[in-house]
Amino acid sequence: MKLRRNIYAKENMTGYLFILPQMLVFLLFLVYPIFEGIRLSMYRINYQSETFVGFDNYLTLFHDPVFFKALVNTVVFVVFIVILTVGFALFVASAIFDKNARYVSFIRGSYYIPVMVSMVVMSMVWSFLLNPANGLISYFARDMGLGAVNLLGNPKTVMPVIIFVTFATNVGQAIILYIAAMIGVPKDLFEAAEVDGASRWQVILKILIPSVKPTTVYITIINIIAVLKIFVVIQLLTGGGPNNASVTLMYYLYNNAFKYNQLGVASAVGVIMFVITLLLSVPQLKSMLQDK
Amino acid sequence: MNNKRLFTTMTALLLIVSLMAGCSGNNKAGNGAASSNAGKGGKEKVEITAWLTPQWKGVLNASEQGADYDSFLKYAAEKFAAQYDKYDASVKVEVIAGDQRDQLLNVNLSSNTPPDVFFESVFPMGDYVHRGAMVPLTDIVDDEAKKDIDQSFWDAVTFGDDIYFYPFQHNPGTLVYNADMFRAAGLEKFVGSENEIKTWTMDEYQQILDALKTNLPKDKYPNAYPMALYAVNNQGDTWNLAYLRTFGSPFFNNEGNIVLDDEKGAKAAAWLKKLYDGGYTNPGAESVSSNDANAMFQNQQLGISFTNPILFSNMKTNMENGTSPKFDVRLANIPSESGDPLSFTYVVGASVFQSGNAKKIEVAKDFVKFFSTDPELVKSSKNGIPVRSSVAEELKGENPLFAAYDANSKYLFNFTGNVPGYSQLREVLYPELQALYLGQKTPEQMVKDYQTNGNKVIEQNKAGSVIYNK
Repeated sequence: MKLRRNIYAKENMTGYLFILPQMLVFLLFLVYPIFEGIRLSMYRINYQSETFVGFDNYLTLFHDPVFFKALVNTVVFVVFIVILTVGFALFVASAIFDKNARYVSFIRGSYYIPVMVSMVVMSMVWSFLLNPANGLISYFARDMGLGAVNLLGNPKTVMPVIIFVTFATNVGQAIILYIAAMIGVPKDLFEAAEVDGASRWQVILKILIPSVKPTTVYITIINIIAVLKIFVVIQLLTGGGPNNASVTLMYYLYNNAFKYNQLGVASAVGVIMFVITLLLSVPQLKSMLQDK
Repeated sequence: MNNKRLFTTMTALLLIVSLMAGCSGNNKAGNGAASSNAGKGGKEKVEITAWLTPQWKGVLNASEQGADYDSFLKYAAEKFAAQYDKYDASVKVEVIAGDQRDQLLNVNLSSNTPPDVFFESVFPMGDYVHRGAMVPLTDIVDDEAKKDIDQSFWDAVTFGDDIYFYPFQHNPGTLVYNADMFRAAGLEKFVGSENEIKTWTMDEYQQILDALKTNLPKDKYPNAYPMALYAVNNQGDTWNLAYLRTFGSPFFNNEGNIVLDDEKGAKAAAWLKKLYDGGYTNPGAESVSSNDANAMFQNQQLGISFTNPILFSNMKTNMENGTSPKFDVRLANIPSESGDPLSFTYVVGASVFQSGNAKKIEVAKDFVKFFSTDPELVKSSKNGIPVRSSVAEELKGENPLFAAYDANSKYLFNFTGNVPGYSQLREVLYPELQALYLGQKTPEQMVKDYQTNGNKVIEQNKAGSVIYNK
């Protein structure tokens, strides 16, 4: 008995040793920074010293209207981009997944190309197009007699434009995942539905969408996390403007950390973003784990 | 079986050890700390780093073979090392992008690896003095240098009682205009001579804008606008700060606080809004950058834009090279209600960061003194405007504009006020200008909010300033 326990312990030890490097990296580069971030959020940090200030940095945030603007904007981005991505990807994937393999590949490739292009490059291309002074869109608008068009300089249009740019760049990933999931749905379910005389719409609604639920949960979670961190497109297209109309939490964090050198306040924003991500992701993860 | 298990266990252990060794590597080496290794001639080897933002290409000028932004400092480093007898010194020169300066410096300061020497405009670097990150250079400035460089430049680099930057050259900000466009709009009488910085009154300026708006031949200058206006970010914001002084606002008071919220400040903001709404500027100022404006001017889409000697010389070089359309460009002052030109300058010079290593600081200070005083090297300051009267006098034949810039120097205002938190303060201005141009705030509200928010930033930074809390 004792011998067997020793053998098990030895075998487990090998396994633990194998995961140890990964665990060390995980602890060092993920867990430690989280705790360090929480600690820093309670300090006022100068070049020369750190002073414990309790929750002062959080109070500073709650008294700053730009922080609330960033919070609301980030939530708006998350809601719209995630809904658009999931909805559009479901629509495209369910429309083509059972078509000719070449056609599926073509559609998949077409939507995936923007995902492969760097967000920096995409943002710069959009910036050239949308520049109010010498951009292509403004040029055509002027030529068509629409006057000066400044989509990025108008607080009413800047958010929809950023939502569209981000959605157009990211949706390819979701389409690929959905098509793969839909191809994996057992064929006999569709055959049974055909025998029962179900319409295409009913097949999508009753069979396809429930069958790819784990994929939907996964896409939703990764998109929530990705959009919460939206930064590059803001930095390159609008700089958070006009008048902070498109500022996001990540951009606000960046400004505090690297432009204002308020590392404590920036850490507090990071902690709040971490909590929001947890709150948004836990229910989704829970439902995914329960299903399994 | 056992051998196999032993092999896998050993491999895993090896991986862990190598990983830990990698993580715990002595970063002092990366720090470039003065090592005790003996260098050339038995002297101790000391390696320092020098950063600069792009200023000018080449040692003396951009036409040299292989001219680049780091040519000057690299040449200065070689010359310095060859004659330096205290240590076996070497200088590693790196060019960093101007818009990444604060990010790179903050990250490197947090990890205690700042550059030893930084060559840059003084105005965005004042914050680092207030934060205690810089070493005073008062002891390396001698009387001869003090006599040769005008007091206004020493004032710009003095924080509290100490000098923190060694002035090398300066880049006065002015307006630039397309003289061909002026002539096409019937504005010959407002065109100054080639080597003049023309001063217009406010009335004349308005006449110019009116004529550029209505009289320009549309076939020759399609989609052209009278003047540049931009507020998407903090780039080129000094011209916006100058415009806000147009009606006589002193901007800062003696305590280093903003005092824009008065009749003069509101009038200047209202003037900007009137120009924007009246179609006298490029459209979409709230989302146009100074780079966009500069490109538009070079494409003859703007009659009047902003410039400094480096931008002006690059613009002329681009025209000569055929990389941008060639036209007659000339300089003008920013007008003001008083009739006196609004004049400001970016003093460019070297500073030394507090690395905590006495030997590196010593070498860095010696290096700064060397290239800021060496008779051959200081001639490179002609790429901007030399701060040294001796150099300006010697080279006035090469650049006749030196005299015109010199005549402007009595109108210079210190646009930073040397206040703590100036970098953060810059982030307060452009959102307010955006709100003004979008009509979200009245001119009165805009100057009031800018003053309130700006003074809040200054107060916060005063609390942490080593200069204010000595």
